Amino acid sequence: MKKWLLRGAALIIVCYLALFSTVMAAMLQTPERFGAFMKHMPPALVWATLPAPRMWLWARKGTLAEGERAPDFNLRTAKDRHRRVALSSYEGQRPVVLVFGSYT
Amino acid sequence: MPALNKLYRDYRDRVAFHVVYIEEAHPIDAWQVSDNKKDAVLVASTKTADERDKVANVCVVKLGIELPALIDEPDNRVERAYTAWPDRLYVINRDGTIAYKSAAGPFGFKPEDVEAALKRILPAPVPVAH
Repeated sequence: MKKWLLRGAALIIVCYLALFSTVMAAMLQTPERFGAFMKHMPPALVWATLPAPRMWLWARKGTLAEGERAPDFNLRTAKDRHRRVALSSYEGQRPVVLVFGSYT
Repeated sequence: MPALNKLYRDYRDRVAFHVVYIEEAHPIDAWQVSDNKKDAVLVASTKTADERDKVANVCVVKLGIELPALIDEPDNRVERAYTAWPDRLYVINRDGTIAYKSAAGPFGFKPEDVEAALKRILPAPVPVAH
C-alpha cells in the first residue's frame, strides 16, 4: 500500500516537472511559437497548476537593462506611412516614453 | 489606456510619447483568448506591412489612443530588441539611455511606474513666484 502511494506521488512529481519545463521552454521561444504552443494548451492547466506569471516575468526579462543605451529604431507612423520617426532624433532633446502593445 | 492618455496630456510638452504597435498577442490564427471572443476583437496576425498598418489604425481608434503610434516592421525587429511582446513600457533618458524598463506585460504593465520615472528624471518645476 505504502509502496503504491510513493509511486503515485513520484508519478505526480514527474508529471508536474515535465509540465513545468515544457511550459518554461515554450515561454522562452519567440512570441509566435509561444502563441502556437498555448493554442493547444488548456489555459487552466497552465495558469492554475503552475506559477505561470512568475515564470513569464523570468522568461521575458529580456536583455536590456536600465542605464544601458536604448537600441535605436526608425519606424513608420500609423498616421502617415511615408513618415518615419527615429528614436535617436530625440537624443539630447527630450525623454521618450515607449508603450509597446497590440490590439489583442 | 486612459492612464497613459492622461500621462500623455500631462507631460507632452516636456516628453515625447509613442505607442509602438507590435505583433498581435492573441490573433485568431494562434492563441485566441475568450475575452477577445466575447468583445468581438477578432484579428488575424499581421505579417505584412500593409496588414500591420490597417490593424494598427483600427487599434488606435478602438482603444482611443491619443499617443502618436509607430508600427514595428514585419520582421518584428523592434519587438525583439526590446523583448516587448505582448506589452511593455520604457522610459528613455534625454541622453538615449534607458531610465525605466517595466517587467514583461501583461503582469508588469504599470503606467504609474512611468509617471514615477518621469518625475525622477525631469527637472523639478520652477516654483511660481507671487
